[in-house]
Amino acid sequence: MVQPAKFYFEDVALHGVLETPAMTITEAHVTLYAGLTRDEPLEPGAVPEILPLCLTTGLGWRVPQPPLAVLAFMGFEWHALSPVRVGDTIFSRSKTVTKRSMKDGGVVIEEREVINQRGETVHKGKFTFLVAKRPAA
Amino acid sequence: MTDPRRFFDDIQVGEEYESPGRTVTETDIVIFAGLSGDYNILHTDAEFMKSSLFGERIAHGLLGLAIQAGLFTRATQPYATLAFVGLRWKFKGPIKIGDTIRVRAKVTAKKETSKGDRGVVTVERTVLNQRDEVVQEGETDLMVERRPA
Repeated sequence: MVQPAKFYFEDVALHGVLETPAMTITEAHVTLYAGLTRDEPLEPGAVPEILPLCLTTGLGWRVPQPPLAVLAFMGFEWHALSPVRVGDTIFSRSKTVTKRSMKDGGVVIEEREVINQRGETVHKGKFTFLVAKRPAA
Repeated sequence: MTDPRRFFDDIQVGEEYESPGRTVTETDIVIFAGLSGDYNILHTDAEFMKSSLFGERIAHGLLGLAIQAGLFTRATQPYATLAFVGLRWKFKGPIKIGDTIRVRAKVTAKKETSKGDRGVVTVERTVLNQRDEVVQEGETDLMVERRPA
């Protein structure tokens, strides 16, 4: 049986950059998100700031690279620089800025930007993941 | 009619709030996977997760973050929020199907901005489960309007 490929700690390139495909944020996304969480937009047409972040995690699965073998999403910091509106088309660009090997896995710190259709960075932040090492063959 | 929202001037450092609880269901996780496109097996493969460290599927970390954002709005009278500016966040433990989470929050700082009509309010937040275990915690910065003169 062929197991799906995974991207392990050893495969992560320091300073490697990954860009996702883009997607348009619609009223449907905002309505579904607000209904699920009760985190409402501040005004009609606004997009709650946590929603683009959530969508970039899904976009991250649509790149020509196997998914990172994440053992734990440890934490992150996030800055909303300018508003995202319904109808905006966003993608994300991430870059590995730190790799630290530990006994059972390794810590990977990634900088991520959310960029809109005008090329403006609207949100940005840093994510810390604990990533599995490649199992011994 | 008076504006029920709380302005920068009304909010005091040291104020504390606690939200109602909310039970996180399988449906929440399925909808969030569909909405976000994050179908990681941690959240979607019940069989695989039986043999994992957690023993079952767990909620997406960002789902927990988003649910606490909604719970916060039920913990206190609404702030006159202009924007969410940023956050620093840690995932401390899993949220499992059937767990009931709530948020405990405390205002830790207020900072006026160069624009005189608004300021940044920093709120420390702890997300607890039904056993009072901390599952997530962090700080959020909100841009809040000053009371109009």
